[in-house]
Amino acid sequence: MFDFAELAAWFADSTNWDGRYGLWFLLAEHLVLSLGAILLAAVVALPLGTLIGHTGKGEFAVIGLGSVSRAVPTMGLLFALVLLFGVEQRDLSLILALTAIAIPPLLAGTFSGISTIPWSIRDSATAQGMTGLQRIRHVELPLATPSIVGGFRIAFIHVVSTVVLAPLVGLGGLGFGIVQGLTVRNYAQVLASSLVIIATTVIGDQLLGWVQRRTGSRLVEHQTTEKS
Amino acid sequence: MDWLVANWAFVAQLTLTHLGIVIIPLIVGSVIAIAGARVVPTRWVPSTTAALGAVYAIPSLALFVTLPALIGTDFIGPTNVVIALSIYVVASMFFSARDAFNQVPTSTTTTATALGMSRLQLFLHVELPMAVPGLITGLRVVAASTVSMASIGAVVGVRNLGYLFVDGFQRRIPEEIITGIGAVFVIALVFDVGLWLVGRVLTPWRIRGDARV
Amino acid sequence: MKYARLAALALSVTAVLGVTGCSPAAEPAGEPIVIGSQQYYSNEIIAEAYALVLEDAGFTVERQFSLGQRDVYVPALVDGEIDLFPEYTGNLLQFFVPEATETAADDVYAALASSLPAGLTALAMSPASDQDSYNVTQDFASANGVASIGDLAGLGGLTLGGAPELAERPYGPTGLLATYGVTVEFSATGETTVDSLVAGIVDMANVYSADPRIQQLGLVTLADPLGLFLASNVVPIASDAVNADARALIDAVSAAMSAEDLVALNVRSVDEKLSAAVIARDWLVAEGLLE
Repeated sequence: MFDFAELAAWFADSTNWDGRYGLWFLLAEHLVLSLGAILLAAVVALPLGTLIGHTGKGEFAVIGLGSVSRAVPTMGLLFALVLLFGVEQRDLSLILALTAIAIPPLLAGTFSGISTIPWSIRDSATAQGMTGLQRIRHVELPLATPSIVGGFRIAFIHVVSTVVLAPLVGLGGLGFGIVQGLTVRNYAQVLASSLVIIATTVIGDQLLGWVQRRTGSRLVEHQTTEKS
Repeated sequence: MDWLVANWAFVAQLTLTHLGIVIIPLIVGSVIAIAGARVVPTRWVPSTTAALGAVYAIPSLALFVTLPALIGTDFIGPTNVVIALSIYVVASMFFSARDAFNQVPTSTTTTATALGMSRLQLFLHVELPMAVPGLITGLRVVAASTVSMASIGAVVGVRNLGYLFVDGFQRRIPEEIITGIGAVFVIALVFDVGLWLVGRVLTPWRIRGDARV
Repeated sequence: MKYARLAALALSVTAVLGVTGCSPAAEPAGEPIVIGSQQYYSNEIIAEAYALVLEDAGFTVERQFSLGQRDVYVPALVDGEIDLFPEYTGNLLQFFVPEATETAADDVYAALASSLPAGLTALAMSPASDQDSYNVTQDFASANGVASIGDLAGLGGLTLGGAPELAERPYGPTGLLATYGVTVEFSATGETTVDSLVAGIVDMANVYSADPRIQQLGLVTLADPLGLFLASNVVPIASDAVNADARALIDAVSAAMSAEDLVALNVRSVDEKLSAAVIARDWLVAEGLLE
């Protein structure tokens, strides 16, 4: 099947870690691109999701966007944007594509987190004299945090996966090892690169999952008593 | 869209291949996930969920190129991609299936057992039908992502709609890429609506106006 | 009623597993000649030309195009899953013999023919070639007075664009330094290589010699007097399943295709956006190889 000694040797070889196309740089590049796009998406999605969840208006748009976005092929989107904006702007195209991919889960997570807060809680906040903004800040957002983090988790997975395809449009990222390795028959490189990608995604996902559980305890009791 | 008009037969051919690549994982993956969700002992559920969650996080291209090393599939051909997609379906459907089964009221299952149903009868006649709404919802979600994920198979030589992206980019033909995006989207939509219809047909006892899942 | 649903489910699962069991690579014992191609529109056109002449002569042909990389399809060729494949002498020789030193067209062909695994034969090579070549923009060539790769030796800060694997190729950055004393920084531009060259993102780029954009964009192909690049002519690789009659037909196609023809076919693909089948058919008819 596979020669794991070869794989270990590949990791042990320092030339595979150094330089523009070495693992360190590619990993950093991959993370910077991913996190940058997610932050950009959050700037758009979090306020929007909060607004829609708070007011209840525009619900259909969010749900519709959610289903629609799952069906859009990321590779096609990336290639189309690069052709649209030109090769000189391919970094911009990648960021745009990534942001477009990150917005739906963040939006859904935020919206869902706020809209599922029982009205009894929201009403009692208003009854206590909170303004809308105060309600958002002190009640809705804190209670919605686990769901929002859940949105970040999904966004993270999708964005990191898409950056893997970046070498196909002449950009970097961890996918480089796969694309180059396949052509030069360096299976150790292909496997090593994919393992690093997998480790990055899984670690990031588990980290966010831990954050999600840490912020999640408050609403659970309420919800189980609401459902009968 | 002259390009589409000139090449529609070819696009139709790619669409058929794409459907084939997608349907098998959806069916096989769902069956495994549904059976697994029912059969896995409760004490193993947290670790299974965690493991499947980790698997689901793996980027598709990475999984496509890792599987050959793990299970000896060839890089070439649909087999590798079909297995990888099935794994994703299992990972995703497992959660949906567990949720769906958990929503079946215990009062109903207890009554059925009291009436003398065996475990298998209970599963087939009570639990499964009542879990259908939840299962259909889960299936709709996973179908959409599977359809779009399958296009990445073009990078490892599977001649489906993803080919339109690669060739369109290589030859700088935007209409070809957009046709590909449109076709994938339409297929995902067809699955979505189709599954919704299947759900309605399979659950005739639900009164209209019932709480939407 | 419920049992009927279970039965239907079981039947469909069995059917599906049965279908999955039949891997598409397993052929029924018999005739169809399986023709493969790379994920390269130009290569597809050539493969389609083979397919069309064979079908016209009564052979059953199965097309398995866009197979991706050599590591992916060469094993299939060796195993007999694929019977015929349009390849390029130099690149394929380097695949089998990475340390090959031959560079002239005939030497490369001879070396390739003798290094193919058992069961595979290199049919007659075509005058048409499609090989790696280093190119710069017209402006760059004029401004720096370069006409051959060696002229770059004095220039500093050069960036080279190309597919990701170029970094590892013997004619890549290491070969440039060793053969011509040219130092470059590599940038993996992949499918965006030509655009990156034109946009000035890279100074020089590896562009396939049959790429129509070399002429269309007025790129200057640098001369390679020291033979850094191997000559790479189009050559059909055939398994034993391809009989003498079929081979004769393929040979006719190879002989008819000149280097200019190949470029012209590529131009049609990129400019007129036609499919490989249409372009191949038109060319075959024009050459009198097809009715």
